[in-house]
Amino acid sequence: MSHLSEGALRRMFDDPNAVTGTEREHFASCTECQGRYAQTSADATAASRLLTVPAATFDADAAYRRVTAAPSSQSPRFGWRLPILRQSARRPIAVLAFAVALAVIATASVNVSQIFAPTQVKPVPVSVADLQSLPDLSTYGTFAWSKEPTPQVGVPQADAEKTAGFSAPKTGTLPAGVSTNVTYIAVPQAVATFTFSAAKAEAAAAAQGKTLPKMPAGMDGSTLTLTVGPALIEVFGELPQGANASDASQLALPQLIVAASKAPVVTSSGVSASELEDYLLKQPGITPALAADIKALSDPTHTLPIPVPVGYATSSNVTVQGVQGVALGDNTGAGAAVIWIKGNVYFVGGSLKQSDLVSIANGLT
Amino acid sequence: MNLEVAPERSRPALSSEQDSFEALFKAEYGRVAGIANRVLGDAQEAEDVAQEVFIDFHRLHSARAQYAAAWLYRASAHTALNRLRGRRRREKREHAAAHDESGQALDPQRVAEANEQRRRLRTALARLPKKPAAVLVLRSSGLSYAEVAEAIGVSTGQIGTLLRRAEAALRKEVNRESPE
Repeated sequence: MSHLSEGALRRMFDDPNAVTGTEREHFASCTECQGRYAQTSADATAASRLLTVPAATFDADAAYRRVTAAPSSQSPRFGWRLPILRQSARRPIAVLAFAVALAVIATASVNVSQIFAPTQVKPVPVSVADLQSLPDLSTYGTFAWSKEPTPQVGVPQADAEKTAGFSAPKTGTLPAGVSTNVTYIAVPQAVATFTFSAAKAEAAAAAQGKTLPKMPAGMDGSTLTLTVGPALIEVFGELPQGANASDASQLALPQLIVAASKAPVVTSSGVSASELEDYLLKQPGITPALAADIKALSDPTHTLPIPVPVGYATSSNVTVQGVQGVALGDNTGAGAAVIWIKGNVYFVGGSLKQSDLVSIANGLT
Repeated sequence: MNLEVAPERSRPALSSEQDSFEALFKAEYGRVAGIANRVLGDAQEAEDVAQEVFIDFHRLHSARAQYAAAWLYRASAHTALNRLRGRRRREKREHAAAHDESGQALDPQRVAEANEQRRRLRTALARLPKKPAAVLVLRSSGLSYAEVAEAIGVSTGQIGTLLRRAEAALRKEVNRESPE
């Protein structure tokens, strides 16, 4: 037989029984393997000696008390992080959030308490200029979570389903190379309230030398309530695990993510949706092109706008599970996603070709 | 020694996430801190690393995740190795430790030799690529081949080879530090 591999020789050092009988017989008569084993053994012994540290005892109870007593300086558990959440990306994310909020609000139907409950998705092109010029939503009032999003990563499937209130989507045949090892993430329902403040908006605008259109009567102090989730997310393949989880740059886009969420709902108090639309689309920084795209959405109350950064992503309409969905990305495998609404909002995305993701989306049961 | 089977750590069924986290913390804290101590040779700093790792884990993951222990082991090794790379601070501390120990009526030559050996190891570990360094530290902290494999995300069959190469690389780095 051939000589023993370096791995086999190393295992032999830890456990003489870790090699097969044939390997042992070969070793007994092979001076070359014996010589390599001697070097392996010497290196292992030296490393073990070097890595020896004085005995230390650690008091887990005391440490746990310290950890739980310390005031939390960390932000609440927001679970999943992707490179997009690096510090340098915060501003684009903030304005993208504004774009979504704006699209949701501005496309809502007239003066009903429930102004947004989408049943379909449509893309809204958003240019870099749009993003750069959008105002910061926080300058128009106060945003507060009444129920914060608290994702639980790595929970058992049954727990995730219990939190979501629906069964985890089941995938059909997956493309070769996609792991069938699934990590479940449960996201309980979250509720946020945005309270408009005329004084805050005017002060922020004045600080930038801008003048805002007058808020419609009843808008100052009125609230929008956004309810999202619960949601259930399935991540296929090894969950990206950075050595230091706070370093989001170490995390990579997984091969495949399948997510389902109850559709978001927005309710308004004290101000009509048409007033909101008029007011928000007149804000400095809203480009005419973006305003036109938002106004062009048909059946706005029931349409979830998907912002598509022009030049960075492409979108197309696709039929998924018999309904119209939006596909983002392309067939390069660099990253793509499909989003549709059929009762729940569904998302299938990852570092696969768009055509593969559409097939997976159609195969979900 | 059983190389293939990760020992089962039984944990009672727990109702809440916080209870699960407390149980995980208390079951794994000693081992997680021990891994960091193996790298840093400083029990107090190792505890800092262990607590940081548990807090990071708790912010992002469920304590009931199957990969919890493996994640913690790997994060402890990597976080400690990262700290090791902040070499100037470490060297200052080891200088101070040498003075302390010298004052305890020990054989000054033996103390100096021990400190020199520790310094060479830390320098060599800091120079090794992260994966082999982590393999060495995790294995020498008493993890089975299966546990090391799970922590660094490779198959158990690869551990013998990785360990062998890591030990050879460590020897070279230590010799480079003090050629004899």
